[in-house]
This record gives sequence, C-alpha cells and structure tokens, in this order.
Amino acid sequence: MKQLLLKIEPIIWLLFGAGLSIGTMLLTGFVLVVGLAIPLGWVPADALDYERAHALASNLIGRLFLLGLIALPLWKGAHHLRSISLDFGGESRDGAVGSLLYLLAAAGSVAGIVAVIRI
Amino acid sequence: MAGAAHPEAMAPRKKGPTRTAPPMMPSSWWSAPRIRIYLLFGATGLVYLLAGFLILRLAWALGSNPMAWQSAFDGLSNPLYVIFHLILLVSVLGVGIRAFVRMMPKMQPRGGPLPVLPPAVVRGAICGLWAGITLFMVLVLSGAIF
Repeated sequence: MKQLLLKIEPIIWLLFGAGLSIGTMLLTGFVLVVGLAIPLGWVPADALDYERAHALASNLIGRLFLLGLIALPLWKGAHHLRSISLDFGGESRDGAVGSLLYLLAAAGSVAGIVAVIRI
Repeated sequence: MAGAAHPEAMAPRKKGPTRTAPPMMPSSWWSAPRIRIYLLFGATGLVYLLAGFLILRLAWALGSNPMAWQSAFDGLSNPLYVIFHLILLVSVLGVGIRAFVRMMPKMQPRGGPLPVLPPAVVRGAICGLWAGITLFMVLVLSGAIF
C-alpha cells in the first residue's frame, strides 16, 4: 500500500495544493454567508431559498463551484491529517491511515460529483 | 599504520531500501510555539474534511427536493453548526494567512522560464484574488447580485 501511495503522490499533492489554495478561497465567502450571516440573521434566509439556491447551483459554473467546495477541502483535510499522523510517530501505520483518509476523500469527491449532477 | 577500512564493513547483510530514521515529534512539542502553530495548521485538515462533508450534505439535499433543502438549510441555525462555522472561519483565515501571505511568496520556482517576482507583488496578487473571490461569493450568496 505504501508503494501505491508513493506512486500517486503527485496526484495527491495536486489535489492537496488545490484544496489548500482554491478550497480556502472558495470556503471563505461560503462560510461567511451560509455558515454565519444567514443563521445569525444578518442576511435574510430567503437569499438562499430553494428556488434561488437551485438556480445558482444548477448551471455549469454553479456546479463547478459547488464541486470545488465539496471535493477540494476533502483532499486538503485528508492529506493534512495524514501528515499529522506521521508527525506523531505514525510511520508504521501510515499505509493504512493514508489509504483510509484518501479513500474517504475520494468517496466524498465521487459523491460530490453525483450530488452536483443530481441538481 | 592501520589498514584501509573495508568499505562494506558496515553494510547490512541484506540489501534493502536506504535506512533513514522515521520522522519523530520532539517530546517537548507543546512548549515550542513554532511546532504548535505548525500542528494547528495541520489540524485545520479535520475542519476542512468536516466542512467538505457538510457541503456535500447540503448539495445532496438541494438535488433531492425543496423540503430536504429547507430542512438541511434550517439545521445550520443550530448553535453547534454556528460554533463549527466560527471554527471553520478561523481555520480558513489561518490557512489563508499562512499559505498566501507567508509561504507562497517564498515558493516561486527559480531557474524556470518565469521571472521571480518580489514577494510583496506575489503576496498582493494572491491576497487580492482571495479578497475578490470572497467578495464575489458573499455578494452572490447573499442575493446582492444575480
């Protein structure tokens, strides 16, 4: 398993880097409005009622934004958690931990693709 | 005069990959500010992972029906979600400041076809892009435009 992880390392780093940079850029505005401003009543909730949210997310650009918001943080998260595990002496379990985390991110990304196609 | 050292004297009996010590965290990691900040930067991974799955749940509900969307969306008002989103905001800002302000301006490829720009220019460009995308998303999601 370690050999496979080493082989796909460039792809993992590409997704991690995209998650770190593009994911962070996308998440900032999202969390400000959807995570905080609407729940706290600073922005009216009908700004994202079903019709408007559906209209925003159902075109190609909206789907791509949404997929980026789902998949990129998953890869950033998976890779960073793996590196934390390594830092705390997880060399012997790295194959299992890395595989599990990347499988989680991959499964979430595939589910994200299905989710944005369903909209 | 001693004889010449045999170059294979310390070689392992079986050939294998180069033996290097695995990385180990010093036992006093909690007392070193640099390591604490580095670990906090890494720990944002858990927050990002949870955020990805939370947004997946919202997208799935949006693709299901209006009731599922309303239920998932109303759930965000739960204080636990609000606290999580505050932690997410702090994480996102921390990652952005560390990556865009401190790391990336120093990470320009050297010796390639592109010129190496002054760090302040790179920092300004990346942070400008970050602010622009954030402003755009805030305006769109809050209903100010589109």
